[in-house]
Amino acid sequence: MKALIVAAIVFASGRAEARTDWMRIGREVQGGAWLHYEATILQQITDDTAPVPDQLILAGVRLHGFLSTSASVAYHIGMDLAAGGTLHGGGFAYDVALFPIGVGVRFGRTSIATVGLGVGAIGATGTLDDAVTLPLEVNLEMGSGRLRLLARGRAAYVAGAASRHDGAPSAPFADELDATIGLRVGHHYEEYDFPTGNGYFVGASYRELAGAKFVGLTIGYSIDLAQPRRFRQPEPEVIDNRGERRCDARGRNCVRLL
Amino acid sequence: MKWLVLVALGGCIIGKQSLDPPPNDVATVALLTGTLTHPLDGIARHPWFAVRMAGQDTWEIYEVGGGGSERDPFHHHQPYLTPIVHAVWRGAEAERAAACLEKHAGPWKAKLDYRFYPGPNSNTFGDAMLRACHLHASLPATAIGKDWRGAIGANITTEGTGIQIETPLLVFRIGLFEGVEVHVLGLAIGVDLWPPAIIVPLGPGRIGFADR
Repeated sequence: MKALIVAAIVFASGRAEARTDWMRIGREVQGGAWLHYEATILQQITDDTAPVPDQLILAGVRLHGFLSTSASVAYHIGMDLAAGGTLHGGGFAYDVALFPIGVGVRFGRTSIATVGLGVGAIGATGTLDDAVTLPLEVNLEMGSGRLRLLARGRAAYVAGAASRHDGAPSAPFADELDATIGLRVGHHYEEYDFPTGNGYFVGASYRELAGAKFVGLTIGYSIDLAQPRRFRQPEPEVIDNRGERRCDARGRNCVRLL
Repeated sequence: MKWLVLVALGGCIIGKQSLDPPPNDVATVALLTGTLTHPLDGIARHPWFAVRMAGQDTWEIYEVGGGGSERDPFHHHQPYLTPIVHAVWRGAEAERAAACLEKHAGPWKAKLDYRFYPGPNSNTFGDAMLRACHLHASLPATAIGKDWRGAIGANITTEGTGIQIETPLLVFRIGLFEGVEVHVLGLAIGVDLWPPAIIVPLGPGRIGFADR
């Protein structure tokens, strides 16, 4: 019985400690997100007779977020979902990817550069074999005024669909390449001390896929929002009554003084 | 390419209904929407019903997250921006609609287990009241959550001239006037047949002529 009581007390105190930690994490965590609605039209520019569509139209959404206890380095997660068609082939096309693992570096007021590793799938009925991809994606969102630079590059490794292996002539290290650079013209807000922004953007796209090269135009609408970057303040140190230990303000991380 | 250019011009509606409140000679019920605050103002709208009986100066508001009386909910309904009038009912039809809203709005909201996305939310309320009160009008494509029916559902469209199937992931709608519309994760795209417009998940939800 005594053991049960002791165990209950230990368990309860552990839960109380856990609650305290969650509250502290809630205070210290900072994050943000960006959302793109976008449509891209791509035209093949190679003369190859590769079995790929001549045109590709994709419309969809990119939703990315970041979370951290640091003002500069953050955990990044994202997803890109797009669907559309091959213009003359009339086939259905899709390009989806999830990025569960990533890191971002924040700079300036609301700018961020991220690298994400994920899993995806791309295909088009009739013209592009369906394949699972392992993409590595770099994102850059820079600027906190009326203009914001939006850039994205992706190198993907194709699993399955042997016809799509080594399909990026410019990149021997990957099977497919995809990049977009755009400029957003819009608004920046600082309501309630939260930096946010939105606006329409236009950009240029480039893609290498199944041995063919594509160039295209991207248009869309973008939103960004983030908590203000909070830099950690050095905590005041406390020396205990006997002058033997120096601890942080919470009485932790004590160092015995010589 | 033409389609891309049209999307780039997102937010263009020809023939919008006037924001001037109708005279108070007879009862009036109006369905309006406004954008959420920045930075979501380009992608999400919120609906409210404004009700005024004959001879009165103030409007009674029915919505999720608000309510009460207002003097001019056509121009100023905080915190929502850029209001659009979607439908106005007058006279006996408005009296019937006002009584119906009075009867159904409170109990519906009392049972609401609110969820910002994908629903049920304020747009689900707008759609539910249109159906409960047999008011033939449509909420815009950017009223995300209007088609929330839980795991799966099917219905006649609020206009009454089409059918729709709803899931949280996908909504498909087809109708004589409504045209064809697909929602993926709440993002709508389609073609409205009459009045003609392209349905987009941005701004007022359509590029073309104002809705019926």
